[in-house]
Order: sequence, then structure tokens, then C-alpha cells
Amino acid sequence: MIKYIKEGRIKLDKSRFIQLAAYHDPCNYGRKAQKHFGHGYFDEPRWIMDQCLENWVDLYPNRMDQICCGGGGGTMTTGYNDERVFYARKKIDQIRATGAKLIVVPCHSCHGQFNNVKSEYDFDDLEVKYLWELVADCLIL
Amino acid sequence: MTSPSEIIDMDQLDHTRCRTWPFSQDFCVTCGLCASSCPASGIDGFDPRMLVRMVSLGFVEDLVNARWPWICTMCGKCENVCPMQVDIADLIRKIRSKREREKVPGILHKGLAAALETGNNLRLPKEDFMFIIEDVAEEVAEEPGFEGFKAPIDKKGANILTTIHNKLVNTHTEDLKHWWKIFHAAKEDWTVTSENWEGTNWGYFTGDDDAMKVMVGRIVEQMKRLEIKNLLCPE
Repeated sequence: MIKYIKEGRIKLDKSRFIQLAAYHDPCNYGRKAQKHFGHGYFDEPRWIMDQCLENWVDLYPNRMDQICCGGGGGTMTTGYNDERVFYARKKIDQIRATGAKLIVVPCHSCHGQFNNVKSEYDFDDLEVKYLWELVADCLIL
Repeated sequence: MTSPSEIIDMDQLDHTRCRTWPFSQDFCVTCGLCASSCPASGIDGFDPRMLVRMVSLGFVEDLVNARWPWICTMCGKCENVCPMQVDIADLIRKIRSKREREKVPGILHKGLAAALETGNNLRLPKEDFMFIIEDVAEEVAEEPGFEGFKAPIDKKGANILTTIHNKLVNTHTEDLKHWWKIFHAAKEDWTVTSENWEGTNWGYFTGDDDAMKVMVGRIVEQMKRLEIKNLLCPE
């Protein structure tokens, strides 16, 4: 994707999303990739965020210390739903503290978890987007 | 709710039992940083520090039968702060692997078994899969800027093969479109495979390495069959 943008194969309009956005590091793309493969994908998605948005912030803590969404490790499908929703409380607090109304994630599990728990935390106006969805939404055709 | 700390069977105490496990669990200094950093600490009494010590002392059956390893998301925050580099997330996965397969909670093992048997977690027949892909591609082609869009299936020699998360051909077909639109705009030469397209690999979650290898091997087979060098696995 970075190659498409750098080579000019796709052009992006940065003015389409004006609300404050935030980026969430999925455990497997970040912390665990760093541990198991020696490279965590922290900078790459942030560079893509920069190409799509004027107005976005990092959650705190982030990168190696990012808080898990609570939907990873197969927990969306174990049936232990009360536990999974409760797990998300720290994540929700973290997003709320930024004031962001759009959370961008490059992970199916995190995406599903955010959409699943937001109503439990009275956060229905939180918009959840895949990183590639954000890019697709910003495409200049 | 019963947590392992309440059901420990002291007759199981044997500090040599897990000595050969490669997770450095015996180096734990019981500092508790893992428990402090873990977002799941306290849920159902979960405590990663206690879990590590239980493995060290041989209380494996108690952990295998507990909900703890399945409430943990294996997110790795614990091991990131561990001063002794105990591989706590991998240790959890090892405990998961020892659960009798039919007792793996929820649909995790059932989905994996379906994938091993039929190629995907949903048992979706090939014709239905192709119909969905073509149908969603037609929807994309109706959007301004994407006239003439097609989703190439089984295109030999394409530059990129992309796998599909089963939920995108089930309840979330709208989410198929994002990457497709990017491919279209970038004039990418891409394809999906009509067989073994499943991008999820639930053996990762259930601790089933053999199943994981089968699933990965199938994707490699598809790449060979279609003579494709690059894989995009958005899962």
C-alpha cells in the first residue's frame, strides 16, 4: 500500500475526514511481530494515516505498550462474551481520553471487537474503520 | 466462578513436569509486572503471574481445564514488561493446545475442523463463494469511478493473490470492497482463488500447530497452482 502511494499509483484526498481520528496498534501487527519477527509494524500504518488524515492522534500508551482491544486470540468466538466486553473497558477509556470519534485499525478482530462493544460503553457514535477502508474512502479517482 | 487458585490439586505438585517447556517459566522472579500490565487481570480471578508459577510447579491439568487461557487474548503486554523474558503468551497457547479438542470453547475448534474438511470455516461451497464474489464485484462496478470493475477469480500469473476472511463472504460483504477499490485504482493485477481461499487460521488460537501448517500449506499450493509470487493476507 505504501508503494502504491509513493509511486503515485493511487492518489488520496486528505480533506474528507475532518473529525479527530485515532490509530490502534493490533497486538499481532505490532508488539508480537516485533517479538517474533524482529519488526513491529508501527511506523508504516502511521505513515498511511498521515496520507489520509490531517487530524489524527495516537492513543496513549501506544506501540509496544498499546492496550489490547480484548477481541484478539480468538476471544470473539469462545462464547465468553461478558469477560470480553469487560476486558475492553481500558481500551474504551483510552480512546475516549483522546476525544476521537473515529478509530482506525488494520485488524479484523479489533474491528469486530470495537463495533461489538461500543454500545456497551455508551459510545455508539464511535466510527470504526479498517486502515484499508480509510485509504479506499480517500481515493481520488 | 471457580478460578484455578480455588481448584488446585496439590497432589499434582511436581516442579519437574514442565521442565522441558521452552518458555523460561522457571526463571520467573514473581515480581508481578505481568499481572499489573495485563488488561485481563482479575477477570475470573485471572493472574498471569500465578499462571506462570502454576506451570513451573506442574499444575498443568488445572490450567488446561480452566477458562483462564481462553480469557487471555495472548496480547503479549505481560511478556513485554517481564524482566526475565518469560514467553507468557506462547505459554498460554501451549496450555490451550492441551485442551481436548471437543472441549475447546465456542466455535473455535468447530470452525477450524470445518476449514480442514472443506477449505473454509463456513463450509461454504465453491459455487456459492464464486456467486458472492461476482455479486459484490457487480455492486462495486455500479459505483462512480469503478465502471467495468471485475474481481478476477483463479487468474493465472497475477501479481498478487489475496486471501479472504470468512466473515467477508458471510455477514460483512461490504468490507470486501475496500481492497478491491484500492486494487482498481492502482491498476493492480490481482486475483482470488476459488479453492482454499480462507484467510483465517484458527489453529493459531487453539494451539493446533499441525492444523496451522495445513492451512498455510494450502495457500502456498494455490500460489503455486496459479503461478503467483505475492500474497496479500489482510487477516
